[in-house]
Amino acid sequence: MISENGEPDSPQPDAARSVSASAMFCAPLCAAAGGSVEVPLTGSLLMKPGLTMCVCARPYRASGLSWGITESFGAGIHALRSSQLTDVVINRSKRMMLDTLGVGLLGTRTDVFQKALRYSQHFTSEYRSSIWGRSEITLPPYYAAFVNGIAVHSMDFDDTWHPATHPSGAVLPALLALAETLPSRPSGLDLLLAFNVGIEVQGRLMRFSKEAYNIPERFHPPSVAGVMGSAAASAKLLGLSPSQCSHALAIAASSAGAPLANAATQTKPLHIGNAARRGLEAAQLAAMGLEGNQAILDMNRGLGVYYNDYSPSAMPDCATNAFKWILEDQDVAFKRIPAHLAMHWLVDAALSARAKLQETIFDLSQIQRVTLRVPPSKYINCPLPTTEHQARHSFQFNACSALMDNSVTVASFDQDQINRPALKELLSKVEIETPADNQPSFDNMYCEVQIETAQGESCTARCNTFYGHWRKPLSQEDLVEKFSLNASSVLSAEGVEGVIDVVGNIEKVSECSVLGSYLRMNSNAHQQVYGMRTI
Amino acid sequence: MLSVLQKTTRSVQAVRGVHQSASQVLKHRPHEETVTASFGRFINEVKPQHLSPVVLQRSKRMVLDSIGVGLIGSTTDVFELALQHCQHMYAADYISSVYGRSGVRLSPTLAAFVNGVATHSMDFDDTWHPATHPSGAVLPAVLALSDMMPASRKPSGLDFLLAFNVGIEIQGRLMRFSNEACNIPKRFHPPTVVGPMGSAAACARLLSLDPSQCSHALAIAASLAGAPMANAATQSKPLHIGNASRLGLEAALLASRGLEASPLVLDAVAGVAGFNAFYEDYVPQSLDSPNDGHAFLLEEQDMGFKRFPAHLGMHWVADAAASVHKLLVGVGPGKFWSDQVQDILLRVPRSKYINRPFPESEHEARHSFQFNACSALLDGEVTVQSFTPWAMSRPELHALLNRVRLEHPHDNPANFNQMYGEVQVTLVGGDILKGRCDTFYGHWRNPLTSESLRKKFRSNAELVLPSEKIERLIETVEKLEKFEDCNNLLSQLH
Repeated sequence: MISENGEPDSPQPDAARSVSASAMFCAPLCAAAGGSVEVPLTGSLLMKPGLTMCVCARPYRASGLSWGITESFGAGIHALRSSQLTDVVINRSKRMMLDTLGVGLLGTRTDVFQKALRYSQHFTSEYRSSIWGRSEITLPPYYAAFVNGIAVHSMDFDDTWHPATHPSGAVLPALLALAETLPSRPSGLDLLLAFNVGIEVQGRLMRFSKEAYNIPERFHPPSVAGVMGSAAASAKLLGLSPSQCSHALAIAASSAGAPLANAATQTKPLHIGNAARRGLEAAQLAAMGLEGNQAILDMNRGLGVYYNDYSPSAMPDCATNAFKWILEDQDVAFKRIPAHLAMHWLVDAALSARAKLQETIFDLSQIQRVTLRVPPSKYINCPLPTTEHQARHSFQFNACSALMDNSVTVASFDQDQINRPALKELLSKVEIETPADNQPSFDNMYCEVQIETAQGESCTARCNTFYGHWRKPLSQEDLVEKFSLNASSVLSAEGVEGVIDVVGNIEKVSECSVLGSYLRMNSNAHQQVYGMRTI
Repeated sequence: MLSVLQKTTRSVQAVRGVHQSASQVLKHRPHEETVTASFGRFINEVKPQHLSPVVLQRSKRMVLDSIGVGLIGSTTDVFELALQHCQHMYAADYISSVYGRSGVRLSPTLAAFVNGVATHSMDFDDTWHPATHPSGAVLPAVLALSDMMPASRKPSGLDFLLAFNVGIEIQGRLMRFSNEACNIPKRFHPPTVVGPMGSAAACARLLSLDPSQCSHALAIAASLAGAPMANAATQSKPLHIGNASRLGLEAALLASRGLEASPLVLDAVAGVAGFNAFYEDYVPQSLDSPNDGHAFLLEEQDMGFKRFPAHLGMHWVADAAASVHKLLVGVGPGKFWSDQVQDILLRVPRSKYINRPFPESEHEARHSFQFNACSALLDGEVTVQSFTPWAMSRPELHALLNRVRLEHPHDNPANFNQMYGEVQVTLVGGDILKGRCDTFYGHWRNPLTSESLRKKFRSNAELVLPSEKIERLIETVEKLEKFEDCNNLLSQLH
């Protein structure tokens, strides 16, 4: 049985799993709510002043009864405590936050961000949330989450996890927008915990499908997992009850799913912006008492609609010290260039091939053919990109840029760089091969670049693991360097240093809003030094 | 005014004359035009004179019915919740009106949201074939956008109806890209898939976007589409329509600002899913130019209007059960006792989400064959009141629910164009009474008369509006194409 809120016609929903709830489960849950069943939310976003909200809305199951999967997630989101964050998880998640803020700050300079911002400025609210890098503008929390989320993904420069999704961009903008409006003034540790809850839920959901391990073909993963992560993180920061947390996930599921066809267009960054915004909205609707299906994760016609091989499993007991975060075992990848993750293998291989050839001679005009051996994935196979968004999703473009310029940087995706006749000439010499052993998975794929010259010379280079991949993580120095370069395009030196310092010590910061004050320290003159630098 | 109508009728006839040579015209179309581009072009090119008298008439019935169910929907809990949420989270923005609330105005997208929630809050809104609720995603967006447009550029009644019809037409065309979509859905709730597209198309038309912006609006909307069926029979289902309306409007507004999306979103591209992400059997078709004799689907496929606020499938079993009620009351002592009944067998299509033996909430009751059959057996009809807590908790109703069995005969597919409802009651004495409904009154094969439609509208609207306003609204919608300014309509919704 799922629950009284499950479906009467299907006592065992499509893909139900059960786990037994130990008697231990109940007590720590309530203890986590501060030992009280009522949390005053005076003057908060959710309630009119003076109202209180019941945290333990429903009695917990007695020992021996089974739990639904959705229920286990609701309970887990509610139960996870900051004392369960390990050093590894704290360190890794702080790196994710810093990197996300950096790419978001840089992303506020993009065209798609400007369009979304102008649209969003139609909305006003008494609750005001900051726009990163824009001291003069505030927006209602949803629209702040929306535009900051767009900024994070506007250049496809944000982190990538395995199974494949961009986890941080849907979560951090929602949390920072929400935190600014909460009268409870969340601490840095509250923020870090909620962030990790949002990441953890995404990681768990991505493991419900084997397909999800591969580079996607149907739905853009951040539009599915991301909105759920944002809802979970927001529910955590709002301190919702276990049942409300499940409803938040159910409501968010109705806001999930965007087709992959919009990759390589301006609309792809909106996927992350919408995931952040609509997850936050789902949590707030749940806090107001709106209900969805309490078995949403258990069913093929629930979250399962987004997958062809959906096989959900319950969240393990989050109230014990045995709980292990997915981030503990699976680190994320940080990008060195603002392009689809797969481009990183290719660029590294192309640079090695170029270096090998240069030992003899390197003359672009002598190149007769360039063969790229890459995994099969249609949406990143773009022979002649015309926009920056297409260029970020083009094996061919990234290989040729690397060969021509001996580096790929932020500036490589400027329109005048894309339009170079010499580049187009080189693009016409590219051939793509997809060897059978090269799987479309960020954990297994490789890229090989073979250059053949008119003189009959040939050299080949291969990249199995690029620098920045989870198997070969960016050093802390390089990560901070990437942040500084990104952030200094928008923030003053004081702002840049301030954000590095606050994020670095976030678990000790008494009010996380201090982060927002540094994020608003614009530099007067935009610095252009960044464009050509590489990490 | 009369001359406008005559002119319209003539042009429509002229267009229909072209119909025979449509295949020739087709040859002149650019060979390489994508399906997506053909949709953008259609939305941009279609003109009021392309609406036939039948399409005009049918769409005005939809507008009236949709406003009526929206007005009664503005009295529901879920509407109240949605409205409070918007008023709490955003500053006042005195632009677009809200059903039944004279003092309230919201930002256009938020007004589209709450009015869409109202429309579907009781599952009382229209249903088309292939299965979707078409009007609730479109009308609130078109109303909100019309409110937003400056007085100098207010759409005429005819422009308003054209935009509405574009929104309906696009949904109908998209639904025909999949055979699956003809059936009662299993995975995605159709109004969340085609609804945002219809809303985006209607708004793009009303904003007079260029062909490329129109197709971008559709592509942006596609990234906002899709919600799982599992949230049916919960408070989240009305949100599906509200969001379809809101997000389609948002997509059109973003496209008008130059935001771009996939130019192939409706085309089937292997390995990179576009709109086909939502279907398992997707075969897209280009849309003919409106000048090539394109006929609106509404011309051939009329709409189903509900007589009581529940899932469409309930109307067959309710009518079948009501006929058994008549027999029972006829043979018995004039009153019907639930303890006379030994067994109730329902022969209905197999569809999991409307098979609920013991519904606990009004939302579940609106999606329960069992509940609707038993209510009709007991009361002789199902009405708005059948879903009140009092009616739902009656012991005699539960006595009947306990005796219900379901059968899913092979000849009864989960398809609104083919299904039937059969109710077989075995009495304690062994007598067997049977009722069957092949086509309920209100189905597209047996449409509501305009008198019945007006009666439904009046009883819905009277909870919210004074009677003189109700009559004025009926008159305004009936003559909508003759108004030079749709303010006549906009000013009377609250």
